[in-house]
Amino acid sequence: MAIKFSNTFLLRKLHQITGIVPLGIFFFVHMFTNSKAMNGAANFDKAVKEIHDIPYLLLIEIFGIFLPLLFHSVYGVLISSEAKPNVLNYGYGRNWFYMLQRATGIFLFLFILFHLLNLRFGLIPGLTEVAVAGNADKAFSIVASDFQKTWVLIVYILGVVATAWHLAYGFFLFAVDWGIVIGEKAQKMTLAGCAALAVLLSVVGINAAFAFRSPCGLMPKALCEAPAAPAKAAPAGPTKF
Amino acid sequence: MTTNAHVEKKRLENPPATIKFKIQRREKEGAAAHWETFEIPYRRNLNVISALMDIRKNPVTIEGKATTPPVWDMSCLEQVCGICTMVIDGRVRQSCSALVDDLLLASGGDTVSLAPMSKFPNVRDLKVDRSKMFEHLKKVEAWIELDGSYDLGPGPAISNETAQERYALSRCMTCGCCLEACPQYGDDNYIGPQAIGQARLFNMHPVGKTTIDNRLNGLLDDDGIGNCGNAQNCVQVCPMSVPLTKAIYETNRDITVNALFGWLKK
Ligand code: HEM
Ligand code: SF4
Ligand code: SF4
Ligand code: FES
Repeated sequence: MAIKFSNTFLLRKLHQITGIVPLGIFFFVHMFTNSKAMNGAANFDKAVKEIHDIPYLLLIEIFGIFLPLLFHSVYGVLISSEAKPNVLNYGYGRNWFYMLQRATGIFLFLFILFHLLNLRFGLIPGLTEVAVAGNADKAFSIVASDFQKTWVLIVYILGVVATAWHLAYGFFLFAVDWGIVIGEKAQKMTLAGCAALAVLLSVVGINAAFAFRSPCGLMPKALCEAPAAPAKAAPAGPTKF
Repeated sequence: MTTNAHVEKKRLENPPATIKFKIQRREKEGAAAHWETFEIPYRRNLNVISALMDIRKNPVTIEGKATTPPVWDMSCLEQVCGICTMVIDGRVRQSCSALVDDLLLASGGDTVSLAPMSKFPNVRDLKVDRSKMFEHLKKVEAWIELDGSYDLGPGPAISNETAQERYALSRCMTCGCCLEACPQYGDDNYIGPQAIGQARLFNMHPVGKTTIDNRLNGLLDDDGIGNCGNAQNCVQVCPMSVPLTKAIYETNRDITVNALFGWLKK
């Protein structure tokens, strides 16, 4: 007898893949690009410009980010609405993580909406009216002026931490939902690895946000200084092979 | 692993003279539920069922109102049949093995609350209809086809490791604790961990393996295994320590290998 999938099952699997492949990878790249602000405005503007110059950018944005995000977030809200949370009576660690995956998901839904309207489109009243899209040369100064407002900075820090946890725990969920990690010990180790990843992504993301307020963010300046020029060129002489 | 060593139970040092039971009552399925509180004298070694028996002898609430005796299910009285399962002080468990001293030590009060499981039709008072669990077992074909027109001889040998794991899965008594505590179960949109554990039990059997597709199909429906949210409450509350999450994840692997990537073999 052949195996038959229901639509719900396939949609669930698609939800899990979209969380990892386009969105998860995008988040890593996004935090890496933001961190370029640590090395100053020019460096960040150049990074934004390079992204704007990617060939097929519009198609990548639509099919690689926007549609997967739309599907993952709308279906994620639907999944969350089916939950019957009971952490008060059954306060186990994993049960809290189950709750937190849904809570961060719904928070991210609102946060990402705000983030897009603010920086992609410049439509949040009181904040920048110039969108970063199409203005790579002003990218740093647009973000920096909004991040001067403490509440904006706090909202973005919450967004980064929520995404970092949601993604890192999402890796764990993916590993068990696809039968990659099975036993209790393997689960514990995977979970520890995912928690470490969440901390790492949070630290990198938060520091990138602070880099729009002071050079190098909260990190020691030594991490951001350009490497010292080589002391002296080696004395010219016959090259030996 | 649980140990079999005898553990001296903790007992209340200064037990109260009387204890109260707050019980959720419902006259019949569909009727509105309400709470009634009863008071009985404390005695040593009371469990919830013996307390219910005391209440049944004289069903008068603390307000002095005569009422009907509370209805509940019981059979083995030693936590092997699962029929007496109910929600005690907010947590699902068997009432026959719920000792009053333990409950009062945990809550620090003198009242115990009893409610029927919320994820099953409430027949009356603390009694529920768990037949849905048997429907789920049928759906995943939790059995092995053995009958044939001739003697098939002895089956293949099973490794000790497999036998141990199958034994652990076979301990399920269909009590419903795992379903009650599962935040995804309810509203008929998820088959739940109990049936997945039993499907795994028979998928691990050398003869049962031959019909694994039927069982996986039972778990791939709209209410199937994909709806598990990994809260892992099931394995925490299971009174028989059935390795439910391991069964779920092993079944996930079977599905990924046999089904999701199966088309790559074509
Ligand atoms: C925008 C709103 C979002 C919502 C409402 C949302 C909601 C959810 C929910 C409810 C789950 C749990 C699914 C389950 O346990 O069955 C989940 C899983 C996941 N999410 Fe999101 N999410 C959102 C955004 C994101 C973003 C931006 C990322 C990537 C950075 C992401 C990555 C993941 C991953 C990797 C999983 C694990 C999938 C699995 O269960 O295997 N999500 N999401
Ligand atoms: S798996 Fe455990 S909790 Fe669930 S029905 Fe069976 S014995 Fe009860
Ligand atoms: S792991 Fe959680 S969601 Fe899955 S069956 Fe167990 S209790 Fe339910
Ligand atoms: S009466 Fe059988 S488990 Fe309680």
